Amino acid sequence: MIKVTIDGRDVELEHPVTVLEAARKAGIEIPTLCYFEGLSPFGGCRLCLVEVEKLPKLQTSCTLMTADGMVVRTETEQIRAARRSMLEFLLINHPLDCPYCDKAGECELQDLVARYGPEAGRFAEGKRRHPESFDDPIIVRNMERCVLCTRCIRMCSELQASYSISVTGRGSHSFVEPFSGGRYDCEYCGNCLTVCPVGAIMSRLHRHSYRPWFVEKETETVCGFCGVGCSMVLQMRENSIIRAIPRRGVGFNEGLLCARGRFGYEYVEGGEELTTPLMRVDGELRQVSWEEALSFTARRLGEIRDEFGGGAVGAVASGRCTNEDNYMLQKLMRFVIGSNNIDSAARNYYAPAQIYLERIFGQGITANLIPGIANSDGVFVAGGDPTAINPILGLKIRAVWRSGGRVVVLGVPGGLKRFVPYELIPVPYSEEIVLSAIVGRLLERKPPGGANAALEAKLRDLRIPSDDELGSTGVSPEDVARVSEDLSSMSTPVVVIGPDMVQRRRASKSLFLLGAIAYLTNARIFLLADRPNYQGLLDMGCLPELLPGGRPVELEMFRHKAEEALGMKVPEQRGLNLFEMIDGAESGRLKALYVMGENPVFNLPDGVRVEKALGSLDLLVVQDVHLTETARLADVVLPATAWPEKEGTYTNLERRLQRVRKARRGKMASYGREDWRILADIAGRLGMTKTYQRVEDVWEEVMHVSALHTGLGYEEMDGGRALWPYYGEPLRGMEGDFTVEGLDGLPEVPAPERPYLMIERPLYHSGTFSRRSKALLAIQPGPYLKMNPELARRHGLTGGDKARISNGRGVLELEVRLDDDMPDNQVHVANTFEGFAAMRLAGFGTDPVTGALYMDDNTVRVEKVLR
Amino acid sequence: MERFLLKNIDSPDSAGIGEYLRTGGYASLKKAFGMEPADIIAEVKAAGLRGRGGAGFPTGMKWDFASRDPKFPKYLICNADEGEPGTFKDRPILEKNPHLLIEGMVISAYALKSERGYIYLRGEYPHARAVLDKAIAEAYEAGFLGGDVAGSGFRFDLSVHQGAGAYICGEETALIDSIEGRRGQPRIKPPFPVNVGAWGKPTVVNNVETLANIPLIVSMGAGRYSEIGNPECPGPKLFSVSCCVERPGVYELPMGIPLREIIYEHAGGVRGGRELKAVIPGGISTPVLTPDVLDCPMDFVNLPKRGSMLGSGAVMVFDDTVCLVRVCWRAMRFFEHESCGKCTPCREGTGWMRNILERMEGGFGRDGDIELLQDIARSIMGKTFCPLGDGAAGVVLGFLRNFSDEFMYHITNKKCLAESG
Amino acid sequence: MDIMDEIRDLSRKYPDRRGALLPALYVVQKEAGWLSQEALDTVSRALNLPQATVKGVATFYAMYKHRPMGRHLIQLCTNVACMIMGAERLVDLISGRYGLEPGGTTDDGRFSLVIMECIGACDRAPAMLVDTDFHADLTADNIFEILEKYE
Ligand SMILES: Cc1cc2nc3c(=O)[nH]c(=O)nc-3n(C[C@H](O)[C@H](O)[C@H](O)COP(=O)(O)O)c2cc1C
Ligand code: SF4
Ligand code: SF4
Ligand code: SF4
Ligand code: FES
Repeated sequence: MIKVTIDGRDVELEHPVTVLEAARKAGIEIPTLCYFEGLSPFGGCRLCLVEVEKLPKLQTSCTLMTADGMVVRTETEQIRAARRSMLEFLLINHPLDCPYCDKAGECELQDLVARYGPEAGRFAEGKRRHPESFDDPIIVRNMERCVLCTRCIRMCSELQASYSISVTGRGSHSFVEPFSGGRYDCEYCGNCLTVCPVGAIMSRLHRHSYRPWFVEKETETVCGFCGVGCSMVLQMRENSIIRAIPRRGVGFNEGLLCARGRFGYEYVEGGEELTTPLMRVDGELRQVSWEEALSFTARRLGEIRDEFGGGAVGAVASGRCTNEDNYMLQKLMRFVIGSNNIDSAARNYYAPAQIYLERIFGQGITANLIPGIANSDGVFVAGGDPTAINPILGLKIRAVWRSGGRVVVLGVPGGLKRFVPYELIPVPYSEEIVLSAIVGRLLERKPPGGANAALEAKLRDLRIPSDDELGSTGVSPEDVARVSEDLSSMSTPVVVIGPDMVQRRRASKSLFLLGAIAYLTNARIFLLADRPNYQGLLDMGCLPELLPGGRPVELEMFRHKAEEALGMKVPEQRGLNLFEMIDGAESGRLKALYVMGENPVFNLPDGVRVEKALGSLDLLVVQDVHLTETARLADVVLPATAWPEKEGTYTNLERRLQRVRKARRGKMASYGREDWRILADIAGRLGMTKTYQRVEDVWEEVMHVSALHTGLGYEEMDGGRALWPYYGEPLRGMEGDFTVEGLDGLPEVPAPERPYLMIERPLYHSGTFSRRSKALLAIQPGPYLKMNPELARRHGLTGGDKARISNGRGVLELEVRLDDDMPDNQVHVANTFEGFAAMRLAGFGTDPVTGALYMDDNTVRVEKVLR
Repeated sequence: MERFLLKNIDSPDSAGIGEYLRTGGYASLKKAFGMEPADIIAEVKAAGLRGRGGAGFPTGMKWDFASRDPKFPKYLICNADEGEPGTFKDRPILEKNPHLLIEGMVISAYALKSERGYIYLRGEYPHARAVLDKAIAEAYEAGFLGGDVAGSGFRFDLSVHQGAGAYICGEETALIDSIEGRRGQPRIKPPFPVNVGAWGKPTVVNNVETLANIPLIVSMGAGRYSEIGNPECPGPKLFSVSCCVERPGVYELPMGIPLREIIYEHAGGVRGGRELKAVIPGGISTPVLTPDVLDCPMDFVNLPKRGSMLGSGAVMVFDDTVCLVRVCWRAMRFFEHESCGKCTPCREGTGWMRNILERMEGGFGRDGDIELLQDIARSIMGKTFCPLGDGAAGVVLGFLRNFSDEFMYHITNKKCLAESG
Repeated sequence: MDIMDEIRDLSRKYPDRRGALLPALYVVQKEAGWLSQEALDTVSRALNLPQATVKGVATFYAMYKHRPMGRHLIQLCTNVACMIMGAERLVDLISGRYGLEPGGTTDDGRFSLVIMECIGACDRAPAMLVDTDFHADLTADNIFEILEKYE
């Protein structure tokens, strides 16, 4: 226990903290400028000076540690004079153009001067001039206003770990700059903007359109871009979002956001092309009234159900929609129409991976907390770049590195490149061999402890590749030894699993091996989720085989419970998954498909086939915010409200439940409707008697139906408290019952002549929504073909050239972007831009064990396009 | 006085190892290997050696702190940044007697159990760089550096790290940042370098001259060594004497020698027999003094009593033709240029003061400028992150304390007292 | 040895790669006399350091140049001792003769002139470095004799 006296008040401290922290704890305010909670101390601004007994000079309270018996004074004439001087110094080169400065009103310097500053400045010399920089599309830099607190620099290096800016120059000619001196080459997280106390670096998006006092309303909500679920504050004016900002103390992201979260909010201003419901009349989509659209939809669904049975109808749920929306779609399908054919694009990897891992370990195995990653001493990442797919989770991995932990990545490290001690990039489709070898080594080092008998039994059958057999993988036996050594030296490791490990033949085996690594090293597992509510839609029962709460529909006990809870019947057999539905549409077995907030034509592989299949349906209903590629094929298009226009909940990849809040009236208030409301309306027309007034009513029902969500009211979700397993009952007793395909064999590693086409998951775009954000488009305006310079050279290509990639499924023409870090046997294209759906060119199959999508036969011919 | 540090430098081959060995070089090293590391530290403590880089910190005590820290490796860094204007005392050692420095470093490293040393040499000394590189190569060749120093089994590697034009890198924590490949800005203390220094490891930073004293202490023993000069801070001291004297240069003299003797006996008096107007006793960062302090002993204890400091022992002599407003302005231009920019008062205050002095010097002084300058300097004093800013403030306060008339004259007459006088 | 290897080789003297940053900047500066963005990028790649970090460091130190320099770099000290001994007069003379302002480069690319803070030659003031050659006791009479030797 440390006792200090500050301004005559006794303060007791458990641990030594700085004098500043001690004072704040005691409610004593000391002005600061360079200090920022969560960043390392700097001690440069000298505003926080205090008197300490027995020390001759004034001390900076932000750097001085408390010591027992210390006596501190924070308000004396000497200190007040020092503060006045520091502020006077800060102002001498400051332009004092506050009336033009967008920061005015929330400028820390302005506030400090008002409170502690001199009455008038005495500086009568010429000020330092430095032109404002507009070289960057997003960030305006006005270095005349910079007070060199280095908060931005420390943010960028310590928390974002992007190291994209630096102070250049020296003394009073120091400026904050990106490498180029103009345009930023960075991750555009904008976190530097959050911490800048003055108007030196600001977002261009709301230049001269934002003033703190313009803000009429603030809404705390959760980001709608990925499965991390960062909290953010939407600042509104005249029913428009003027700014999305993070806030310390709000959400576990602790004041950080990524580029998509911060700058992607603008998409909601788009969507003008879909202003009323549309119906296909004489082959063309025409505007119709809601009544017409809804009654048509309900009538046709009813007719098809009655004629062909519920099994002829299917639905696609959405990882962007709330739990309430997804629950209602599930209810409509299962209980009203009588079909278990419900699935979503989570089928791509998230759903099968999650369900399979739960089969091995039990429900909730991936329900681990993201902030906790930073406390672990090692991370093993396989199958995707967390810094792009789930950026804020990625930052925690970087934090592990910063605090001395090891980061090992299987695959192209991407945004973790700077943080890995060595690279480990297997030849595509040989990952399974490498993983088996790693597990083999681990078994030697860490014999399993017997906790999971089923898993251990299977491990005994595992064929461990010999050193020779590793030959085809591009990963050496030494590398394998190194990884296993690193893995076994970690005491609190984390295993992060991304899509690329799932989208392989024998996904069950890769997942089993990753699970085994986690098991043998006692690691926590994280499953990357590129949509905000993939986990939620699973938990809401948007799966062919699982009811809400993850209860198998084929088990009578669970089916009965659900039927009882709702007083409605559910079909006994599991339904079709997404790919089976596509097959069914193709073969004519499936007659109607209801697509909510999803764009299968764009987001599924082999798009041409998908398009054809959807085209042959009797009824395609698409409910969405935008007129997507899929909506253009529909018979009925129902406009939905966008993320900031609705209330509900998301379940993030930690399985934390968080509320999505309505920030604005629907821009399309007269025509756009909440997804759940549209669904409930249709269900009503088809015979459902229950009615819902508010979204809470839907959630009430979820609490009632799902054993997981019992007793978890909205009020329990504030402050990120709704953590797994809530007050619910996790499903137990099902684990251990799983099969692994090909345990005793090793695959042939194909060695095609042509490069593979791999799907890149970029930081700045996530598809249909991001490509409507002006800011994200300014950062990255279009698609590109990423390739290794050597591979490019072999095809006569260089950066900036236009290249054509093609195979039997299609052709794309893209600009070449060279990347030294890419292996030379693959090219990467992101599936994010309209007209450039890389997925369309990918061949795929469905894994018989997990039901996951696997990429297959996805090599492409690469040629230069001559102009 | 007998010369110890600059022994032999008049010989044309003084920098070569051959000449150094002929005149008894590396004998102390051999003697040191016969002693326990802790005994060497005790000897340096007993000798009362105080650092020659400016701050005068007791060297033995610093070593003691570093050697008590359990962390390894430990680093030994020689501060050869010599950037303080008026200072050029380390240069003759670096250019003409490099083996003395190397010998001093090897002994120090042995005492500290350090296996790695760097000489942080200012970028402005390219000749010294060449000499040091050659001397280090010779020392490796002769087995005084490397895996098994002089057959003792002790390992010590040494190389030169060249600065690139930043005075602040003379400050030891900025220097460490600079060796680590960073912007050379001072670090928060504590922790001190002796515990958390280069690459987070215990690190001793000593000035060239300090380290050059080590062989002497070892060979003479603390007892005899402490008889040289002022017993309160004994030893030989290098003084660089410049500006308006007949014979500017580096003089090795006993610590505590009166200023008068340095100027009038060794440096040949004020040039052309002119009148002495002002003296800066320890480099530009130390406050200027008037001729009435001529009898002050030049050491760490007596100069502070007269309102200045020994600093680096750089004596700058100004006669009656020198405009002190101009000197003060030029000094401030230096501080503005060299301010690292980390802390507010130094970054902004030095430029402001330079601005005012520049106006004043150019004949555009205003009423109240002197008070304003004083006020700015007081606002800086004691509130900066490192001593550079305090130094800048101290310079202005020193000039205004002792020569305010001359500044006043400049403001009222828009011209120089020196020129008109 | 190619420049990347030369740089990586430097880092053997330090416990981590970053230590070699200052010497590496000297190595690349030697090539062209100044540090272009490409030169900084080379260092960044050779030492695996972020580009912005390299730039921040390179611009902190006065002796790294960020603009093309003349074939010869005149680094003339004008600090107090040199000033008192007439350095400013020399600046004027040099400016007059070569049309060269402090901080500038002659049109023919022969000289660049940089004003230095103290170069530790106060006993032989005024003094200068031309490239890495040291010249002291400069006077109006000998300054051009010295400079004219640099083509
Ligand atoms: C601004 C500033 C510049 C300094 N420059 C030098 C220098 O050039 N050489 C030097 O030896 N010490 C310099 N010092 C002192 C060092 O910080 C440090 O005290 C010294 O190197 C310790 O060595 P010593 O104990 O042997 O003197 C400087 C200090 C400050 C604050
Ligand atoms: S936007 Fe993010 S990555 Fe870019 S400079 Fe700012 S903090 Fe760094
Ligand atoms: S740009 Fe802003 S945050 Fe960065 S150093 Fe300047 S004032 Fe501080
Ligand atoms: S006083 Fe402050 S700005 Fe000046 S050199 Fe020291 S740390 Fe840098
Ligand atoms: S807040 Fe302490 S020095 Fe800036």
